[in-house]
Amino acid sequence: MSADDFLAQLRAHVGAQGPRHEARHPITGTGIADWCDAIGDTNPLYTDEEAAAKSRHGGIVAPPATLDIWDRPGLPAQARFRPQGLPAADDPRSKVLRMLENAGFVGVVAVNSELEIVRYLRPGDVLTNTQTLEEISEEKQTGLGIGHFVTTRQRYETVDGEHVGDLLFRILKFRPGTGKTAAADPNAKPAPAADPALRPRPAINRVNQALFDGYRAHELRIPKCSECGRLFFPPLPRCSECGSFDIGYAVASGHGTVYSYTVVHYPQVPGFRYPIVTALVELEPIDGQVVRFLADMVGVTPDAVTIGMPVEIEWLDSHPAQVEDATDSRGPISLPQFRPATPTRRAQTLSAAEVSEGERLPIWTLPLSPTHIVAGAIATRDFQDVHHDRDLAHKKGSADIFLNINTSLGYMQRFVTDWTGPEAVVSALRVRLGAPAYPYRPLTFSGSVQSVDAGIGRVVVAVQAVNDLGPHVTGTVELELPT
Amino acid sequence: MSKHTYAGKAAVVGIGATEFSKNSGRSELQLALEACVAACEDAGVDPKQVNGLSTFTMETNPESEIMRGLGIPELTHFSRIHFGGGAPCATVQYAAMAVASGVADYVLCYRAFNERSGRRFGAGVQDRPAGATSEEAQFAWTSPHGILTPASWVAMFARRMMHEYGVTSEDFGAVAVADRRHAANNPAAHFYEQPITLADHQASRWIVEPLHLLDCCQETDGGQAMLVTTIERARDLKQPAAVVEAAAQGMADDQHMMRSFFRDSIVGLPEMGTCARQIWETSGLSTDDVKTAVLYDHFTPFVLAQLEEFGFCKPGEAKDFIADGGIEIGGRLPVNTHGGQLGEAYIHGMNGIAEGVRQVRGTSVNQVDGAEHVLVTGGTGVPTSALMLGPDR
Repeated sequence: MSADDFLAQLRAHVGAQGPRHEARHPITGTGIADWCDAIGDTNPLYTDEEAAAKSRHGGIVAPPATLDIWDRPGLPAQARFRPQGLPAADDPRSKVLRMLENAGFVGVVAVNSELEIVRYLRPGDVLTNTQTLEEISEEKQTGLGIGHFVTTRQRYETVDGEHVGDLLFRILKFRPGTGKTAAADPNAKPAPAADPALRPRPAINRVNQALFDGYRAHELRIPKCSECGRLFFPPLPRCSECGSFDIGYAVASGHGTVYSYTVVHYPQVPGFRYPIVTALVELEPIDGQVVRFLADMVGVTPDAVTIGMPVEIEWLDSHPAQVEDATDSRGPISLPQFRPATPTRRAQTLSAAEVSEGERLPIWTLPLSPTHIVAGAIATRDFQDVHHDRDLAHKKGSADIFLNINTSLGYMQRFVTDWTGPEAVVSALRVRLGAPAYPYRPLTFSGSVQSVDAGIGRVVVAVQAVNDLGPHVTGTVELELPT
Repeated sequence: MSKHTYAGKAAVVGIGATEFSKNSGRSELQLALEACVAACEDAGVDPKQVNGLSTFTMETNPESEIMRGLGIPELTHFSRIHFGGGAPCATVQYAAMAVASGVADYVLCYRAFNERSGRRFGAGVQDRPAGATSEEAQFAWTSPHGILTPASWVAMFARRMMHEYGVTSEDFGAVAVADRRHAANNPAAHFYEQPITLADHQASRWIVEPLHLLDCCQETDGGQAMLVTTIERARDLKQPAAVVEAAAQGMADDQHMMRSFFRDSIVGLPEMGTCARQIWETSGLSTDDVKTAVLYDHFTPFVLAQLEEFGFCKPGEAKDFIADGGIEIGGRLPVNTHGGQLGEAYIHGMNGIAEGVRQVRGTSVNQVDGAEHVLVTGGTGVPTSALMLGPDR
């Protein structure tokens, strides 16, 4: 069959409207709480009955980014997990996707997701979704491979017919191994994030042993005189203040602020990704004493680092799990790094008048682990294998499992609503996905206020989430703030 | 602290160097011997008369090999100074103390290496040393984080200096422009007839931000030696004496080797301040008496800090002091008239002492009128040394 004939067959489905699909179960508080745990969203209006009752919603609501997760089929979306007798999904997109898979376009990535929120969902709501297949692109060469973009619109209503939101969704189905980028090469496993095992090794001796033991326990230890309590760094066997040879240590919180920094371009040695941002950090006071500590930074681009920037510790391990009793300089090693401090969630919601156009949100770096990716996928009820099964992800043309779009949306929502405070009402979340978010590649969110309409409290925030492969998420969040 | 008693009793009487290149094509030992012989010839002293040697702990050519190569029958003094580029002026200081106290008659100070074609300092720690000495353990807090080279250490200070004093990369660039202007007149300089503009500096690639390539000194193959003896013997020799009017070493509170990141303030160079205080007290001179200086320039930012530590300007004001050609020939205080280590060669500061001697003799390619007393400094950011040279009167 020619490509034109195949496209014609696919496009025969364009314009088709699927059956009104009904969620199998009502939205539950447990489902909402699992989502909040996976995303790290601690907005009390999603989980705390008392706080939610006092809010503008009058009770617990589901996070807006969850609009399109509740009616999903769950694991039975995969044929091998479908109970006998349950027919395959017969909505237009599912039909078209099966045709594409049979033709070898087995790779899949979401490209666009645009959620328009009409009203926040609540526990007990039973959702329905009516899908329209809007567009199928001609065959295109993309970075990931040769494939087709498939665009659908979904209208969400409750079983009672109340319109609660809309979704425009676009995915790319591609042939693995036909891509142009290194990320598309299934044989190219992602480089581990700056492998500490390859780095120049610290010289460990009797004077500094306790501090390096601390590294292995993920404790940042600062030498402390057991007699007079004076803190100092780097370690010495004697307190220069009181003369005691009895030196212990205090454990630092790992929080601090950048005192000075550099960006290393040359020379380049194994174990690092260049350029390296290195920071001299003034640690949060311990017993009222301020000590400085040095480390490389992760999750920050050279143009984003500033003196005074709040940072927190992150541990880089050469080994999958912490190792007990490693005693020499050659074995497994853990090293501290700094990353931008996680911005604190605002408890009192900003009013529109307090927000100005061009204002920047504090940056947020998320050290992405496989657990983040798998927990996010499951909590958003997305059982696509590429989000939890590394072997299948490789087979389908991906270098590793990667973040699903609903988790990206969730992080974006959290990033913005942690900044606004809990009572902001999200009316739209729109994202375009770029570089895949693989494990071990920290994702850094930045944002700025694109527009403010103080009269009606409408604020639009432009958001980008970037990893070292490029922009992962580019999008906007539209909110209503108290006026 | 009182005046140093050996001050004024010793002089540099001979200077000698190899050519400065990127690939000498011969051994480091040969470079050292050539430089030593040249220094003796310059002074008109038979190398066999030398009975003292002073060099760096980093020097790869042992005194025994130099002694045998020069045919020296007996050595009564041999000393080494630690901390890399901080050592140069201290080799002359030790030599001066040795001859003034009668421990030795003629002391050669030397340093030679194939620093470009052989082991390059700028390469950093590329292997993975796992040692246990306290010397090695000093690096445990930086190397695993990619902070491996002198450039990466100095950049940390430079960034803070920019933050606190409003110094800019263009200010650092003014030092490079001055050095290269001076080197352009110096046939011995690697960058002879190759001046640069501030735009060239700004366009050069990053090495470690905020340092551009042109903020960093060269890597050089070469050797430099100086012969030191008493002022009395000096008067019978070929060249006018460059008297050691003062010399000093310095470390200061919470000192580290180029990584004193833990002091209350990191925008100054207190160890150089320690040197400055001794230099002024011992020489009895003031900044007004100094018409030219050779300030250690492995990286441009610390030239600014040295001007402040020696009191040529107030803390934070060096950027104004160097503006508008302030440290170029014809300016307020021409600095590094040989082209410095950015322009002439990087011989661990030893070639700067030779330039100090030439300014005292009146033989510099960029001779400064009335340059009687010449300040020379050792490496910055490290435990260091400084020297005041002057005419015999």
